[in-house]
Amino acid sequence: MEAIAGIGIGAGLAAIGAGLGIGQLAGKAVESIARQPSASNDIRGNMILTAAFIEGVCLFAEVICLLAVLG
Amino acid sequence: MKKKNHARIKTSDMLKRALILLVIFGLITPFTFASGEHGEEGEHHSSHHEEEVADIIIHHIMDTHDWHFFDVGETAVALHLPWLLYDAEEGLKFFANTHALEEEANYIVHHDKVYKVASKEIESEYVIKGKPEEVAPEVAHEIHELEADPKFVVTHTKYVERDEEENKTTVNEFKVYKAAASSVYDFSMTKTGLQILLVAIFMFFIFRAAAKGYKKNEGKAPKGVQSFMEPLVIFVRDEVAKPFLHGKHDRFMPYLLTLFFFIWISNLFGLTPFNSNIAGNTTITVMLSAISFLYILRYSTADFWGHIFWFPGVPLPVKPLMLVVELLSLLTKPAALAIRLFANISAGHFMVLSLISLIFILGDMGHNAVGGWSITPLSLLFGLFIMGVEIIVAAVQAFVFAMLTAVFIGQSMETHGHDDHH
Repeated sequence: MEAIAGIGIGAGLAAIGAGLGIGQLAGKAVESIARQPSASNDIRGNMILTAAFIEGVCLFAEVICLLAVLG
Repeated sequence: MKKKNHARIKTSDMLKRALILLVIFGLITPFTFASGEHGEEGEHHSSHHEEEVADIIIHHIMDTHDWHFFDVGETAVALHLPWLLYDAEEGLKFFANTHALEEEANYIVHHDKVYKVASKEIESEYVIKGKPEEVAPEVAHEIHELEADPKFVVTHTKYVERDEEENKTTVNEFKVYKAAASSVYDFSMTKTGLQILLVAIFMFFIFRAAAKGYKKNEGKAPKGVQSFMEPLVIFVRDEVAKPFLHGKHDRFMPYLLTLFFFIWISNLFGLTPFNSNIAGNTTITVMLSAISFLYILRYSTADFWGHIFWFPGVPLPVKPLMLVVELLSLLTKPAALAIRLFANISAGHFMVLSLISLIFILGDMGHNAVGGWSITPLSLLFGLFIMGVEIIVAAVQAFVFAMLTAVFIGQSMETHGHDDHH
């Protein structure tokens, strides 16, 4: 039971981390698009790329949690 | 010129014929409307025994040899795929369906995996009510040891039992068989394999129609499928390939387009009824990212390897450390690609299935009608919302996979003076 609780907490923490990261990223990106609308395409591309990296790290953690539950 | 055209038509004709044959063959051989086969699989599947919700969800997502569509009353409508086994002793073996395989003397099928046993006689059997680790720790330990022992095959079935007062207990059933001396390997085309074939055939016809359109409407505005595909192809070229590949994007367009459209279309297929999800399977995503990794290696430059083995611009003692970091990052790139796609797609399916299962959890598997009905609107609404998100995710993941592949190939192709970026 404790193990399951730990896995749940771990999955939550990973989600919090990724949420903070993507929130920061999107906030800054929208800010810079507002400043410089002409560069919005470049900024959007970079934003998606970086979001994918952050999400990747989070998903590593989530997959480990999933394996821990199932295994 | 004319002759060449003629030859081209002939090959495309032959391809068409081969495809039609393949489809007919694929449809005829394994299609069976199995009546009551649910109950025959084993006594544990009979109707008054329930499975746990988590097991049902995982079972739904997993790759299987039996493509189950729906039930009509007690009759399961399913596509029973053939098994192709390689027995280390007896060579290749073919079975029309799971049922035929189970009738063989030496094979047992459990949770869609095939095991070779010395005989089908059960060596010992354990039935534990509740969690084995909590109820009977010694027995659980014993079973663990048997499971690790290659001389035995242990099957584990789990179901929920109710007594007269509706008290639920989870029953764990372990059956121990003596394993055969030689092992057996499964090479059959499973549900996912067949689904990939379907997606491939679908893609072939779409792209052929688009390609034909270019020949027919040469110099004119695109029409039909062609006008649907053109913006997408241009999107992949301009947003995915061009910014990262240093002007050599034309060479990689076939691969990137294949990646993008294969992942996108297979994800969309996975969201439609009766189809299975392809990218929610680690085997598929690892293979895709392995191909991307080969591309990264194939087009890597001396500069790229120089950066890995002898990182420029850092003091000498740090260089070995950088070697470890760089080698790790080289391998993490494709690993992250594979895990991202797998996790995104299977997480979406998990979410939808869990939300739908809420009805059955709160409805106590049909024993509590009020609970079930009260959650139904909410769970359907959320399920619909997640499905909507999934449609976006299907496209975004295809885009991200193709773009990251382009980025990584671009990085490995880079040749620059060392004063550029450091």
